Amino acid sequence: MTRDLRMRWLTPALALLLALSLSACGSFAPNTIFGAHSEFGHSVDTLTRRLLYAGLTVFVLIEGLLIYILVKFRDHEGNREAKQIHGNTTLEIGWTLVPAVILAFIAVPTIKTIFETQAKAIPSALQVEVIGHQWWWEFRYPQYGVTTANELYLPVGRTANFALTTKDVLHSFWIPQLNGKRDLISNHTNYIWFTPDSTFAWNGFCAEYCGTSHANMRFKVFTVTPAEFDAYIKHQQTLAVGSAPTAAAADSGKTGAAPVTQVATSTAATTPASAGAKPPVATPVMNVSDTSTATYPRSKLPEWVIPKTPTPANLTFDESVVGDAARGAAMFKTAPCIACHTVKGVPTAAGMIGPNLTHVGSRTTIAGGIYPNDLKHLELWIKNAPEMKAGSLMPLFGKNEKGATPGFYTDQQIADLAAYLSSLK
Amino acid sequence: MATTVSLPAHAASAPKKYESGLWSWLATTDHKRIGQLYLYTSLTWFIVGGIEALLIRTQLYGPNGRIVSAQTYNELFTMHGTTMIFLVIMPLSAAFFNYLIPLQIGARDVAFPRLNAFSYWVFLFGGLFINVSWLFHAAPNAGWFGYAPLTTPTYSPGLNIDFWVIGLQILGVSSLAAGFNFITTVINMRAPGMHFMRMPVFTWMAFITQFMIVLAFPIITVAVTFLMLDRFFGTNFYEITAGADPLLWQHLFWLFGHPEVYILILPAFGLVSEVLPVFSRKPLFGYPVMVYSGILIAFLGFGVWAHHMFAVGMGPIADSFFSITTMLIAIPTGVKIFNWLGTMWGGSLRFTTAMKYAIALVAFFTIGGISGVMHASPPSDLQQTDSYFIVAHFHYVLFGGSMMGLFAGLYFYYPKITGRIMSERLGSWHFWLTAIGMTLTFFPMHFLGLDGMPRRISTYDAGQGWEFNNHLATVGAFMIAVGLLFMIYNWFHSMKAGEIAGNDPWGGATLEWMIPSPPPDYNFATIPTVTSRYPLWDRKSPKLTTDVPHGAAAEQEVDVTLGGKNAGRLKTPADTQLNAPTAHPSANELGIVMPTPTVKPLIAAFALGSVFIGLIMHKNLPIMFLAAAIFVLTLYSWLLTPLEPEHH
Repeated sequence: MTRDLRMRWLTPALALLLALSLSACGSFAPNTIFGAHSEFGHSVDTLTRRLLYAGLTVFVLIEGLLIYILVKFRDHEGNREAKQIHGNTTLEIGWTLVPAVILAFIAVPTIKTIFETQAKAIPSALQVEVIGHQWWWEFRYPQYGVTTANELYLPVGRTANFALTTKDVLHSFWIPQLNGKRDLISNHTNYIWFTPDSTFAWNGFCAEYCGTSHANMRFKVFTVTPAEFDAYIKHQQTLAVGSAPTAAAADSGKTGAAPVTQVATSTAATTPASAGAKPPVATPVMNVSDTSTATYPRSKLPEWVIPKTPTPANLTFDESVVGDAARGAAMFKTAPCIACHTVKGVPTAAGMIGPNLTHVGSRTTIAGGIYPNDLKHLELWIKNAPEMKAGSLMPLFGKNEKGATPGFYTDQQIADLAAYLSSLK
Repeated sequence: MATTVSLPAHAASAPKKYESGLWSWLATTDHKRIGQLYLYTSLTWFIVGGIEALLIRTQLYGPNGRIVSAQTYNELFTMHGTTMIFLVIMPLSAAFFNYLIPLQIGARDVAFPRLNAFSYWVFLFGGLFINVSWLFHAAPNAGWFGYAPLTTPTYSPGLNIDFWVIGLQILGVSSLAAGFNFITTVINMRAPGMHFMRMPVFTWMAFITQFMIVLAFPIITVAVTFLMLDRFFGTNFYEITAGADPLLWQHLFWLFGHPEVYILILPAFGLVSEVLPVFSRKPLFGYPVMVYSGILIAFLGFGVWAHHMFAVGMGPIADSFFSITTMLIAIPTGVKIFNWLGTMWGGSLRFTTAMKYAIALVAFFTIGGISGVMHASPPSDLQQTDSYFIVAHFHYVLFGGSMMGLFAGLYFYYPKITGRIMSERLGSWHFWLTAIGMTLTFFPMHFLGLDGMPRRISTYDAGQGWEFNNHLATVGAFMIAVGLLFMIYNWFHSMKAGEIAGNDPWGGATLEWMIPSPPPDYNFATIPTVTSRYPLWDRKSPKLTTDVPHGAAAEQEVDVTLGGKNAGRLKTPADTQLNAPTAHPSANELGIVMPTPTVKPLIAAFALGSVFIGLIMHKNLPIMFLAAAIFVLTLYSWLLTPLEPEHH
């Protein structure tokens, strides 16, 4: 009778645990850290799986032993005398040494992977500067003189070496399906490199708490074929749409410039290979209609890369208004925007505080990866950025919006500006 | 061997009003009362921190939550962490240090009873101070580990971080004072025959914890003082425009922060080591190893701190070093699990609520320990760190570890504190709702982390595959909350209606079970002489300790003279207190001199706290100086007053 009562909890408990564990299998996980698509990711993956399997084994052994003990030695009435054993030196030595041996099996590949992944990047790597801001990502390709924001294009099969810095507080650069994260530390430059092995679109996140909109500091990564990457860079080097053609040939096309110098993290310079690394799969993604902007086709974006953030309920926009890009262009030359933003080709727009907007029209997202890049969202963003993104340092501009500073643009004016920015493909 | 004690006819007494009611609590120096003050205060903060958690979980139930703003969310997760660590687990452990250590070592109080009271009042002040920030819509919001430069005036210009730094400093004073107190107590006030290796394991773990506190808290004091100087006096310790290195904060913080987590777990380990043997009816397996592993954990705990910094780019050599030390510390920790299993093996197991919680610690801490070892590998940790995988890990070790152990202690010692036994039925409801709720809340977080969900995010987008596990986690959190309601009801209801406990409701082994429940203010009528690790089993159930090392037995008898006349002979405690009637003699009647109650520790604590109030009020110098003056004068008066009334 008592036996049954005690056993009653065992089955539901085990069932619950099984259900929870199985909930992991076959579930939709687009940002999983497993199966990461770079040699770096692959090395880490191998190590993580080894740790996980070792952990699961220990888990089953210890919890199994515990359950066995609870069932075998339960004796509520105290009918059985407990065996008065209170120590066993052999056991103590045994269960000290065995875990030590298991840990050695983890430690050795760990140290090996540390040195492999922190070796200096190969000299021919693509250099990318990642500069963290509250709460958006600046990306530069110093070899090509290109500056962009919140979207990162990388060629498959070529090592990318990232120099990570921050303009303000700490951030962390994380693309779960491509790399383990590396922090952006003020007054430091950190480095991480990896070689993407397949074409696709990926989600990136800030992974170090950085203030109000830490959750909203996201970015998108597009791994494309080398030819597509070249096309992308070539396009990014051009001046903004509609700007004077006489503006510099000086800015464009610095190919093959000297790589950014980097602090050596180890003396070994190795090629980026690890056992079992997959050969790169460079499936072209862009079709003819994208080549004018040389960007990842919107039609091929997976659902989880397209932000679904709802806009604030109390922020409205006059739907009847149609923006005029030419009017917007004229406005832009002397609008407050130029204090913070750069548009290459508009000489007055040389601000360094906010994202570079030269080709903003061809990006898939705005506002640090949290809204899709379309007219509607652009208009709302300009109208009241702090409402759209908590703590945003970009002030509101909508005439009747309430906030820290007064706004002065009508919906028509904002629509014109948005139309202009959308045209900057 | 007999001793003769001669006592005055009347011992001097404290002001009458301190003998009962509210004043008796405000003026207490009795470690048992102070322990209860810590207990009720920390359980209140547990509810506050729990509400913060429920708000967090409600916001994160689904994607793009709008329950709270991002600003409020950031305050919530910061305060949840700060509250649970500094205002719940530490003071709840302190409740047990206070209540139990003197009882377990056969002493009448701690070494410095007034300093003990001071520690509590400072803690109360600190907790209130940091939570008053909510009323200013300025609760701390940079995370419980407040990384620079986010916490510098440039990036946190408001009052939020001012409240945080000052609150932490105040709480640090409380912990440090208590640390010195308990170390002195354990070294100096053990009963005759209680060698170190005969101390109960809880006292051992508590003792080791005090050393960690005394060595680790000064480090955070330094780190926070630098930040205070930056914020209030314009220095540049963490000011990045002046070239400061944010890693200074991280190293200092984690040099404290890692020992801190061992400070949080060792007392719970100690409680489990008390509970398991009693409800297995056999001694603790491997007592010496349990003691040495505790010491080793404390020592190694100071050598692993940078495993919190594997993503900051310290370089491969530093990464490798800390990876190895972190793996090493898993060994003494794992050994404890095995010894607990060994304790239960072959035992006669009784599943009281306390026992269920103790077993839960073994089960859940194992899981937390496994994920911890996974974090110890830096390349793998670069995927795990700052994701929900870490959140899962530390909740398993802190809730599934520390809280389970502390709940075990609450149910185990409730009879000693109140004289009654809590309802087993209600306790079972609390236990299962908590254990299942905890699993439902935190196990899915492992998957969320492996599925790429970063931590400390006020919301997440739809379509990332994170909804289902977040739903589970929210449901589990509410289950835990419901379970807690059972405990609260059980706690208060059993005080009136619970079964009378008597001295030893469980068949305990150690000295605290020899005396009445609740104990008289003097604890022991006669300080017992201890002959083994399990002094009570020696007397009541000698079969249980046949294989345990024993010292030479000593019959202790005391001749008592009262007012110069022989008043009889007190035999061993077995005669007087084991079978004690409910009415027991007062300290006066036994001629025991107890410390005089006084409100000076309270006044000193609040005066010290008021110095900080002046600081946060834009450096209001008149208030600061006035408060400091009151503090110094009160301290002076306190130090010049003898602890006990005069005896000739």
